[in-house]
Amino acid sequence: METLNSAFDFSDFPRLDLFIAGVAAVLLLIFPVFPHSSFAMATLIQFFMFSLYGMGWNTIGGYGGQVDLGKAQYVGIGAYTTAVMLIRWDVPFWVSMPIGVCISVGWSFIIGYPLFRLKGHYFAIATIATSLVLKDLFEVWNFVGAARGLEISPIKYNPPDFLRLIFKEDVYYYYVIFGFFLVGILYINWFRKSRLGFQLRSIKDNENVARSLGINVHWAKIKTYAIATGFVSVVGSFHACYIKNIEPEDTMSLDISILIALMAMLGGAGSLWGPIIGAGILIPLKSYLKEWLGASANLVGIDLIIYAAIIMLISATEPKGVWGIIEKIRRRKRS
Amino acid sequence: MALLEVRHLIKDFGGLRANDDISFSVEKGDIIGLIGPNGAGKTTLFNCISGLHPVTSGSIVFDGEDITRLKAHETAQRGMARTFQVYAASGDLTVEENVMVGCYMRTRSRAKAKYRAGELLNSLNLQDLSDYQVGELPVAAQKKVTMATALGLDPKLLLLDEVAAGLNPSEIEETIAVIKHVHNDLGITVILIEHVMALVMKISHRVVVLDYGKKIADGNPKSVSKDPRVIKAYLGERYVNEHKEELG
Repeated sequence: METLNSAFDFSDFPRLDLFIAGVAAVLLLIFPVFPHSSFAMATLIQFFMFSLYGMGWNTIGGYGGQVDLGKAQYVGIGAYTTAVMLIRWDVPFWVSMPIGVCISVGWSFIIGYPLFRLKGHYFAIATIATSLVLKDLFEVWNFVGAARGLEISPIKYNPPDFLRLIFKEDVYYYYVIFGFFLVGILYINWFRKSRLGFQLRSIKDNENVARSLGINVHWAKIKTYAIATGFVSVVGSFHACYIKNIEPEDTMSLDISILIALMAMLGGAGSLWGPIIGAGILIPLKSYLKEWLGASANLVGIDLIIYAAIIMLISATEPKGVWGIIEKIRRRKRS
Repeated sequence: MALLEVRHLIKDFGGLRANDDISFSVEKGDIIGLIGPNGAGKTTLFNCISGLHPVTSGSIVFDGEDITRLKAHETAQRGMARTFQVYAASGDLTVEENVMVGCYMRTRSRAKAKYRAGELLNSLNLQDLSDYQVGELPVAAQKKVTMATALGLDPKLLLLDEVAAGLNPSEIEETIAVIKHVHNDLGITVILIEHVMALVMKISHRVVVLDYGKKIADGNPKSVSKDPRVIKAYLGERYVNEHKEELG
């Protein structure tokens, strides 16, 4: 009960923030009713997915300060679990998704145990390595289609199939991921005020102080890493049903890992709204730049340059991201 | 039975012996001053006792249990709290949240942790500062926050590492009052590392002196302050020779 109350308690945010968040939520809720391009729809679905990835990353990376650049491996595990189980044994999404989470979390414990003996950059590099190794394994593993990947063919099913999450129209996917998005916000809102959330912030501050306050630092990190993994794995499973065509290169590449971390870093690591703001900026920017500029033959890749420049600018001027800038302005106004 | 017993503790960092065969015991209800010149190994000794550093040899018994091999979070859970000399309060936790982290060791409930933190902040007169970030506060208040956080663990033994360093005389008086409150009202045994002699001599029941990693004196404040070895450690051999008559 206390948990639920805490999840729905946003009272420590200023009224203005809650008003903006409420308006945004209503707009997102009614968006599909209005005429829109399928491109805009796809972009918004991507926005929700990457917000969720970012929220997951934010637990260990933002609140805990452990820069993790290997989240793509869990996108892959989630996506492949759902795809393989659907194609081979016709297991519906709502069953395979939790199984995927269990496998991801199990794997995260196995690699988290040794990884969290490392600190700072060494930890970041090690997470990259584990993710890339797993991707290479999937590329030669015939059971999961090796490098060709897997394809879920929608003709076999009767869309709209809510159990298997197979739809013809994107609007269904939109509302499913929107639901996950809202649950994700509630979870993180609870998490940041929970015992583990406080312990992590203390760990980020100073590990020795945290230890002497009775916190098992290693275990707290592993637990949080598993939470982050759970988030990513759920969206990975969704990704399989939504994209329907998964390959190791698309789901588990280093780009995805870095993009996930950047969502939270750009928006503001260690804050509730940070990953959402980050995804709100980066995802439309990325897809529209790709659409407008990438189409002209000579400008392929310019989207990457522009978006890298924005990232450099933000990280050079305000390491706490967009949310850090907002908080700074507020503090100045108060004093 | 002693609350804490340190027996023949040795701590080496590579070739450097930071603590050399240190033995002492602390009875329940004591206030022990741990003094010595800079680099004498006082903080290292704290780190060994609280489990942040693994000891090279020797043993530590706390409340009847051998805690020599326990990690810092395990000794904390058994009732040993400590503060740090340099508190790097760079993070974004507020004063109240900081104290809550301590309280969260004994409870999982947010409401209970918040309530207990409020009590502690009140008892140390910090209630007006609870929404500030620790890094924004003056040193004296920061030190009080770290004490409040440590008290959140409900400890039996409190290790204070230079809580009076850098404070002005009236702030030192206030710190003395806090330590007395901790000792008298909460019944917590205290070991304090301190350079501020006014504080050590005033409240310690016993003083342990370290120099170059060795224990050179152990006794009541008065006798220790007259001990030639202690004076030598602080003021040098020449001073002792020149003032032989005065020192007796």
